[in-house]
Amino acid sequence: MTDQRRPLFACRNLRVAIEDKQIVKGADLEIYAGQKHALMGPNGSGKSTLAAALMGHPAYQVEGEILLEGKPIQELPAHERARLGMFLGFQYPVAVPGVSVANFLRAAVSARRGEAVPIKEFRRELFAGFEALRIDRSFAGRYLNDGFSGGEKKRLEILQMLLLKPSFALLDETDSGLDIDALKVVSEGVNLAAGPHNATLLVTHYQRILDYVKPDVVHVFMDGRIVRSGGPELAVELEARGYDWLDEATAIEANETDTAAVAAADTAAKG
Amino acid sequence: MAESAVLSVASKPTVSTEMVTALSRTLGEHPGALAWRLRALARYDALTLPNRTEQRWRYTDPLALLPSAEALLRKLTSAASGSGNETAQQAAAEWKRLRDDEPAVLLMPGDGPRLNAAAEAAGVAIAPLWQTDADEELIGRAVPAAAGLFAALNGAAWNAGMTVRIPAGVELDQPLRIVLPAAAVSLPRLLIEVGPQAIATVIEEHCGGAAESRVVSVTELLIRPGARLHHVLVQRWQDGVHGHMTVRGRIERDAHFSSATAAFGGRVSKLDLGGILAGAGAHSELRGVVLGDRRQHFDHHTLHHHLSGNTRSDIDFKVAMAGRSRSTYTGLIRIEPDAPQSEAYQENRNLLLSAGSRADSIPELEILTDEVSCSHGATVAPIDPEQLFYLGSRGLGTDEAIQLIVRGFIASVMDRLPETVQTTVAELVSARLVRVTGGI
Repeated sequence: MTDQRRPLFACRNLRVAIEDKQIVKGADLEIYAGQKHALMGPNGSGKSTLAAALMGHPAYQVEGEILLEGKPIQELPAHERARLGMFLGFQYPVAVPGVSVANFLRAAVSARRGEAVPIKEFRRELFAGFEALRIDRSFAGRYLNDGFSGGEKKRLEILQMLLLKPSFALLDETDSGLDIDALKVVSEGVNLAAGPHNATLLVTHYQRILDYVKPDVVHVFMDGRIVRSGGPELAVELEARGYDWLDEATAIEANETDTAAVAAADTAAKG
Repeated sequence: MAESAVLSVASKPTVSTEMVTALSRTLGEHPGALAWRLRALARYDALTLPNRTEQRWRYTDPLALLPSAEALLRKLTSAASGSGNETAQQAAAEWKRLRDDEPAVLLMPGDGPRLNAAAEAAGVAIAPLWQTDADEELIGRAVPAAAGLFAALNGAAWNAGMTVRIPAGVELDQPLRIVLPAAAVSLPRLLIEVGPQAIATVIEEHCGGAAESRVVSVTELLIRPGARLHHVLVQRWQDGVHGHMTVRGRIERDAHFSSATAAFGGRVSKLDLGGILAGAGAHSELRGVVLGDRRQHFDHHTLHHHLSGNTRSDIDFKVAMAGRSRSTYTGLIRIEPDAPQSEAYQENRNLLLSAGSRADSIPELEILTDEVSCSHGATVAPIDPEQLFYLGSRGLGTDEAIQLIVRGFIASVMDRLPETVQTTVAELVSARLVRVTGGI
């Protein structure tokens, strides 16, 4: 059973800089098993930097603590975080020409499980994933993200998440650039992957995907900080009012509000 | 190149008329061969060392590739007196290994080349070079002695030569595998004729050797009208070998030459590889995979010479360098005035796996007629750190990610290898990749 007192994922006073420019200025998150959180913020607020730093991008200087199931992981390289159960769905998935989707995924799934997955078993899982996300089987032989449309790339990110079965999935702007049909498919995939023993953090600019994926907690991220946290109604409010009103309203009492709101939301989620 | 220069000789080695005469007699060659050798020797004597003002020699010191006069004399005298080959044992072991492992047809100059029953039944003929006057009309057609210093040296002093004739219309299911182990000094020469409409795969495998081995090889491929030749050159010398290889396919009307190079070994390795498109409808494709590490030096030159119109050529050379290795690629496309409606494409991509590695790429075009379609591209780039992060986020460690990226990088070449050799080359690539990523 999952320990309800210990968050599945947490970061504490996380500060992220690149080339001496401070992007994330102290972020705290606590996400419990079974939860879906949304991190929303305007463009340029540092959301993607936060996501990449949590996954272990080597270009960032990171201070503070990152905990996965209570284990500090901030010193670990990305591939070790992945093997421990973290996943990052990329806003801009990277092409690796010449490497087929099937070969790549088999290597990734084997790395995650710590042993080579037999080809037959892998094919069965792969094709089941294709079916769930309405992906054509010809994807298996295509080169990884090479010449893929935006929608195809995002579907492939979700497919990877389904196969890798992370305990904590970070999805960075997975909804951007999707038409409504693709958005529905991607959302179904996120809901399919979510369960009582894992957790998801959706990083998004728009409220749109939250019509399909219901978050337990919504955080507002501005200028490198979480300036407000609350329940799903916060996303609706953002959709109606935009981000500007938060600038002044939260500047002073940001920290206190955060903590209180998260605690309240967590209690609600667990109840 | 400073380091190689220290190890190399100070000037081109002297070859005497007496040495060449004795060599030809001992090998039991047809009298015509000696006359040809002596003409090549005159050419060799007249040629000066190529220097760095020539594009093709800008980054590689020719002296690093030549044997010393003493070593050459020792070698030619020992071959002439029939006292054998210092790598005979190694060659015999290699021969046995290959015979045990593979059902392919195997040939090895200087060690009793043998054909299997299927090739024999198909009428394939092998013989030491120029034992009959039939070779006179073939030798030098693709690589004349005048082609350059290394062609002239090999032309004067080849010490292991072999002719392979594939009769018209024959289709060989299995590749012909020619193994060329490097000795202290090796000057092998191959002359391969693929008869009209015949289809064959020839693997030319350069292997063996030791520190300070020197190899100067020449391979002439005569591809008769309508024939198809898949040529695979595998260079997997031991670490210290220095060698210069010349390979030319002469492609006649409607014939197809497809050559794939897989180069991994040696200390300094230069390959001069080309297709001469000599008849309408001729098609030439040159592909290459080069994987280097430590302090290896690779130099690849390709030539596509369009003598005839309505011809097509295509080059795809992929180079990945690790450690402190370096690579040079020069590619010349020459289209003659009488060769309209020709198409020529050339691409050389270089992937740098370490900060200490280096690659240079120099395309050269000499287009002497209009109405041609021609393009070339060259890139030199390190591995994209975003690719590493992406693959890392999926659980792949740096070595594993780099291996995957390099495999993808060379896929366009590997995918087009003839099926019969794909596994062999893939295994060599895998073994090399493990060493290469281990040394980054």
